Amino acid sequence: MKKFNSAISCHSSNISFLLFLIICLTTPLFAQEPSETPPPPSAPPQVNVPEVREMTLPNGLKVVAVTRQNVPLVTVSLLIRRGAEQENQTEAGLANTTANLLLKGTEFRTATDIAQQIEFLGGSLNSSADWDSSTVNLNLISDKLGRALSIMSDSVIRPTFPAKELALLKKQTIDGLNVSLKQPGSLLSYVADRFAYGQHSSNGTPQTIVRINKNDVLDFYNKNYTPENAVLIFTGDISATQAFNFAKLFFSSWEKYKPNNSIKNLEFLGGLQSPPRKNSEIINRMLVIDLPDSGQAAVGYATKLKTGRIVCGEKSGNEINCSSSKIYYPASVLNSILGGGYSARLNQEIRLKRGLSYGARSNFDWRGFNSNFIASTQTKNESAAQVAELIKIEIQKLADDSIVEDELIPRKAVVTGGFGRGLQTNNGLAARLRDIYLYGLNPDELNSYMTNVNDVTDSQIKDFASDNLKGGDMIIVGDAKLFMDDLKKRFRNQKIEIIKADNLDLNKDTLRKR
Amino acid sequence: MRKILLIIILSAFGLTAFAQVRITPLNIKERTLDNGLKVISVQDKSNPVVTVQVWYKVGGKDDPQGKSGFAHMFEHMMFKSTKNMPNEKMDRITEDVGGFNNASTRDDLTNYYEVVPSNYLETLLWAESDRMVNLSVDAENFKSERDVVKEEYRQGVLANPYGMLFQYIDSLSYKVHPYKRGVIGNLDELNAAKLEDAFAFYKEYYCPDNASLIVVGDFEQEQLDKWIDKYFGRRKNPDAQIKRVDVVEPERTQVERFEKFRPNVPLPALAMTYFAPPSTSLDIPALEIAEAILADGQSSRLYQELVYKQQLAQTATMFADIRIDKGLLAFYAIAAGGKKLEDIEKAILAEINKLQENAPTEKEVEKAKNKLITEILQERETVNGKAFAIGEAIIYKNNAKAVNEDVAKLQSVKAQDVQNVMKKYFKENSRAVIYYKNETAGGKE
Repeated sequence: MKKFNSAISCHSSNISFLLFLIICLTTPLFAQEPSETPPPPSAPPQVNVPEVREMTLPNGLKVVAVTRQNVPLVTVSLLIRRGAEQENQTEAGLANTTANLLLKGTEFRTATDIAQQIEFLGGSLNSSADWDSSTVNLNLISDKLGRALSIMSDSVIRPTFPAKELALLKKQTIDGLNVSLKQPGSLLSYVADRFAYGQHSSNGTPQTIVRINKNDVLDFYNKNYTPENAVLIFTGDISATQAFNFAKLFFSSWEKYKPNNSIKNLEFLGGLQSPPRKNSEIINRMLVIDLPDSGQAAVGYATKLKTGRIVCGEKSGNEINCSSSKIYYPASVLNSILGGGYSARLNQEIRLKRGLSYGARSNFDWRGFNSNFIASTQTKNESAAQVAELIKIEIQKLADDSIVEDELIPRKAVVTGGFGRGLQTNNGLAARLRDIYLYGLNPDELNSYMTNVNDVTDSQIKDFASDNLKGGDMIIVGDAKLFMDDLKKRFRNQKIEIIKADNLDLNKDTLRKR
Repeated sequence: MRKILLIIILSAFGLTAFAQVRITPLNIKERTLDNGLKVISVQDKSNPVVTVQVWYKVGGKDDPQGKSGFAHMFEHMMFKSTKNMPNEKMDRITEDVGGFNNASTRDDLTNYYEVVPSNYLETLLWAESDRMVNLSVDAENFKSERDVVKEEYRQGVLANPYGMLFQYIDSLSYKVHPYKRGVIGNLDELNAAKLEDAFAFYKEYYCPDNASLIVVGDFEQEQLDKWIDKYFGRRKNPDAQIKRVDVVEPERTQVERFEKFRPNVPLPALAMTYFAPPSTSLDIPALEIAEAILADGQSSRLYQELVYKQQLAQTATMFADIRIDKGLLAFYAIAAGGKKLEDIEKAILAEINKLQENAPTEKEVEKAKNKLITEILQERETVNGKAFAIGEAIIYKNNAKAVNEDVAKLQSVKAQDVQNVMKKYFKENSRAVIYYKNETAGGKE
């Protein structure tokens, strides 16, 4: 409790603004201490990357274990090295529907049984598909793992894909999509998939989801969910021996499904054709999706990369040796400079200097042999054009200018620090291991990650930017009447396409219903 | 083949009760400096990182009159210049060295937190101590950061089809308590805020005896204590008393109904709220179990009944928003395509009635406990999570060591206790109901 004394109290409301400033701004009220500089750090601590153990079951399932026993929790992550890239555009969402439906019924359990039994153990079991992988993820207290693994393996090995579950899942997915399509930020990413990357969204569209039938799901499952396409990853409070024994007990009965279904042919991981691009300019095309009464505008610059996460050598038998592509680490540092974190350039320019957004970010969506890049933000409709211009300038700077050490060093620390923190949770560690095993990389890369980041040079970043980031598309989703005039003024020589949100058709190359 | 499977399944589902989970208690060192600053530390050397956090007992409910959203906006200002640090210096000594920092404002609290490589511990202690008293944000930065907060409002409330519904949950559930304003406030009242308000607010609430310093991670205790004495011991409290909210929200005695419209709402939604007891109430653990039974996971009652069996809702959930004063027990549902809010409301009421008429099964209670205890463990994976658990215990239970009692308290809840709190807090006439629908250019749908 403080003693009440009104001598110099700045919270009384009758002090005039001017007087207030004099009292409170020019003299520190309480502590008459001299100016200080922050105490410097002591010697940096060691970061330890845990040891990775692996084995392969006779059916071809690779099993990976990393032990860490500070908390009695364990994560089990089943990685299927197949995803939405295996589906046609007309069946977009099939990989994700298949993944979701795995947990909705087996020969021995109904959907409700699965949910009840897992949740009774205090655990969570989730499944989803990404572009080139599908994942089933289990998190729970380690002493309950055996019980939960029996449910997880049952779901993965013996799913029945009940028709009524498929019908409900489709309805839920379509309702969810309809909500996303009214939100400028998520609508932007759906549009970018089709328009800038020439791909379909792995979530599908209401029109593709409605068409999915049980045979499609079964077919997708049979082709892709096989032990030789999968990696089972254990992290946390479990020894490697225990993990391998559990894997044998619960996953040995998973049969190699079809003799002709060999390991994923990595060369086909291309997706659809990239749209044509001209590399001399930063912006190739500009597209506005007019969403009347939208509470904000989403602004994004999106482009597809010519290179992906990895490069691979010759195939020998079923094994292909792959390593990180030359661009992976330079691009990771570039992202940190441009839009990976609070103090990155986009956030500096758009949020910190101008107050135009709550946050601006960039991101690489890594895929095997081609990857997607986006720099995006949300802003009030009135400043959409200004923000588009700021994003363009930042891309241009990366392609034209070198980066000074004073910027490069801290932005590398953001990447390595984030990597280190990620490894501290079982889930974060499992995610890193999925990245390694999805792309056939050597797990030693976890140990060399920080060195690889620190070895990136400013010229590698500049070369990467001028080769890869130019010639992308600027997409704005928002209430067009509030920014079109400004947009035309700021981008005088740029052709601008406009599509009304209610005339948008994500199933068509033209993006238009009519 | 079949035989093997059967064995696996039987072994997995023996009905033996589980050994009760043991969570290693956090080894909390607690002391209070002469200036009233509470200091809580937990050594954890599993990773070479440390978190430094300062939790202030001030939040959205303390916004100045007519300036809703102020406490949160002020939190943004705390990253601007101080006497000894230029703007965003905090990022230079966290983000730039591989750590991170952030802050958050809730109705009852504001917290500032950093996670850094442990060799930066002293630097961060110095910095948090500096911005406790030496803030010197100027008019230009104040305005620019206010614009950021307005964008945060637009992003969360205006651009999100259901964002405004969550504003209505606060503004329509409370009649007199300042909780009704919501932490984010609104654009007009954010515009009304001035730089002098910021300094008045700062002087009133940002002082050692209104704060708790929490340090968790890789440190040596003796060294830590010395640094804390050095950097925080010198901070003094202003000679004025902090104004505390003492408004008492009256009980609701009849059902109150509201209908609200917003553009770009693809599916109608509803919210229904009851008042929760204050955070120190002994009924909280039973309410948490009730919340888990109703709403946690796909085997929860609301999901099973509304989403899965009757297929009335795309989302149906409930959350216990526990606060220092009366909080909210809020149901929230988005209709499935073509379904009516009236039917959803009836179905939710039916679920409430069931739990009032019959206690949940032992197995359901066990399931809820397992879920909640697993969540507590998951929070303990990181130094940041541990410090957050401690901070919440301080603010909501006035006792840092309450973190070590959470599990035992949950374990002691019985099925009958759940039925009792359902009867006590979910009385038919004490609810507020909000229907939230699409507004089109031509009118209301």
